[in-house]
Amino acid sequence: MNIPMTKRDIFYKDVHLFKAQSVVDDLVDDLAATLDVSRGDLNIRASPKGLFCGSGLSIHMKRGSIVHGADSEGTLIPAGVDISHVEVSETVSWVLIVEKEAVFQTLCRANLASHSSCPGPGLVITGKGYPDLATRELVGHLSVTLPTSIPLLALVDADAFGLDILSVYKFGSQSLAHERNRTTAPRIIWLGLWASELSSLSIDRDDLIPLTEHDHKKALLMLKRDNTMMPTQWKKEISYMLHTRRKAEIEIISSTPSKIALHPDAPHHPAVQIYFAGDPPKYPLVEYLIPKLKLFCAHGQKMKRVDEISKSHHN
Amino acid sequence: MSLQFLHSHDSAESHSDAIWSSQWTSRDTVVSISADGAIIQWDANSGQQINALPPHTLGLVSLSVSEAGDRAVYNTIEGLTQLWDLTNGSVLGSHESFARDPAATHQTEPVWAVSLHPNGRTYASTGGDGDISIRSAAPADFGTRARQLSPGKSKFGMSLAHSPDGSKIAMSSETGQLYLFDIESAQLLNTYTSHAMCVRSLAWSPDGQLLISASDDKRIIMHDVRNPGKGGGAVASLTGHSSWVLSASVSPDAKLVASGSADKTIKVWDLSARSAVSTIQEANEIWTVSWRPKPSTTGPGTFVSGGEDGIVRWWRGAGM
Repeated sequence: MNIPMTKRDIFYKDVHLFKAQSVVDDLVDDLAATLDVSRGDLNIRASPKGLFCGSGLSIHMKRGSIVHGADSEGTLIPAGVDISHVEVSETVSWVLIVEKEAVFQTLCRANLASHSSCPGPGLVITGKGYPDLATRELVGHLSVTLPTSIPLLALVDADAFGLDILSVYKFGSQSLAHERNRTTAPRIIWLGLWASELSSLSIDRDDLIPLTEHDHKKALLMLKRDNTMMPTQWKKEISYMLHTRRKAEIEIISSTPSKIALHPDAPHHPAVQIYFAGDPPKYPLVEYLIPKLKLFCAHGQKMKRVDEISKSHHN
Repeated sequence: MSLQFLHSHDSAESHSDAIWSSQWTSRDTVVSISADGAIIQWDANSGQQINALPPHTLGLVSLSVSEAGDRAVYNTIEGLTQLWDLTNGSVLGSHESFARDPAATHQTEPVWAVSLHPNGRTYASTGGDGDISIRSAAPADFGTRARQLSPGKSKFGMSLAHSPDGSKIAMSSETGQLYLFDIESAQLLNTYTSHAMCVRSLAWSPDGQLLISASDDKRIIMHDVRNPGKGGGAVASLTGHSSWVLSASVSPDAKLVASGSADKTIKVWDLSARSAVSTIQEANEIWTVSWRPKPSTTGPGTFVSGGEDGIVRWWRGAGM
């Protein structure tokens, strides 16, 4: 029979034998690794969890239907094995991956994907925390098929778990090491939230959340990771967070509607300042994101230009 | 009353990341530790580097220098504690507090803060579980735990300070409590609850009568430790900083307290008047201040500061 099943379906086939869902999960992964195939090839997929937003993305399904993205609401990301091909409009100029669903919904409502102040239309994706395979496959696919002048950016909490989630998108997860090529996006850039930029965002330090023992242990574990999976900037940010013993969640930006400025020494890029006279902005999070999107898009365009020039010199 | 503290000079080089702690030694050198993993000793008069260790891969969070100024104990963010000979720059001992100790009956959390005993033979350490371990500071068995003092509460231990006579040890927690122990008897002498937010720095007055705490609640509080068993114990609070107070240091003549804050200022306070007599506006958060241990004969004294920009700065009180 060629009907796809979820791992939950398998579990319910013989609850007494398997006893726990995790047993099924591990067996499926082991089987896939041993046979050197993907879970999808075994006709097993998880129930869709990830969401995307942006009319510039259409997903063509193998069974013939098309899943169209919308600019102001999320659409479920179907399992990669059911997808025939992905169509991205030429006007899409950035892709933003956000850690949390609540942030994703805010950005949908704010129409970020088609916002007039953005450098162009874009796509917003969330895995709702640790991303499932389908989300990672989509992000991995976009990473490879979109020109590198279109930045892939991640917005995660300024804490160890946020960075771990970013790490899964960028470097892959431990359990799916054999599928790393298809499910990672090595060129994804950490756009924020950085612990070190908090003071320049006029965020009151007392609004920062104290680290839990869980956060502390997770942070220490991550610091021990190999350099190939723990960039220097990340190490610095985790250390800063451990030292101050505070972390910040993305939502903290939404609570500071007054002027937002980027620190001139922020890594990667020069200073950009935005001041708001009059009414506070409706979506402070959007006002935080727009200058960063502009900077990374401009950087992408510059690199594209450099590439073009160097190619024409060689001809 | 107001005093002027003038910028005297800077360290010849800067750390490549924030300075998280520093201490002015009795040999007239200054030791600084940084988020960049480096520990550097500077000549106090010229600001030139005397010696340094190759940077660790992780930042250094705690530093304690011996009274003689000849040795320093420091700790990394993951709990590697080392003993550094300041006179010749060699590492005399090393202890991986994050490693499982086969000899221990129960494992402790990795070390966060350290404090050398004035006699240099032992050092105290604390970490996530809030217990104080008294460990050997001798090169031969550096880090070996001799005894444990436990407040009985599992609070993250942020800072430790031995009293000047070495008879007591004070510990501050992430949630603001201060615990004062008599080392010999292991008795918990007092618990101070004047802060409800993180206390990152502790300092003693030279006569050992006042314990000073610097907190995220923006205050510096002076505690009278002469009367053990008396609850509260706070005699005065110094208010004026507009953000977390990150560090406090008492002048050798016991008249002044210097403080560094996340509000990017350094303040100097008169202990008897209980008010700020000087405010220095800096451009970055100031993580550490430390007075020259030798009292000045010509003025209010000198101290160093260090912060986010990674530069050690010397400040001299204008002579009277």
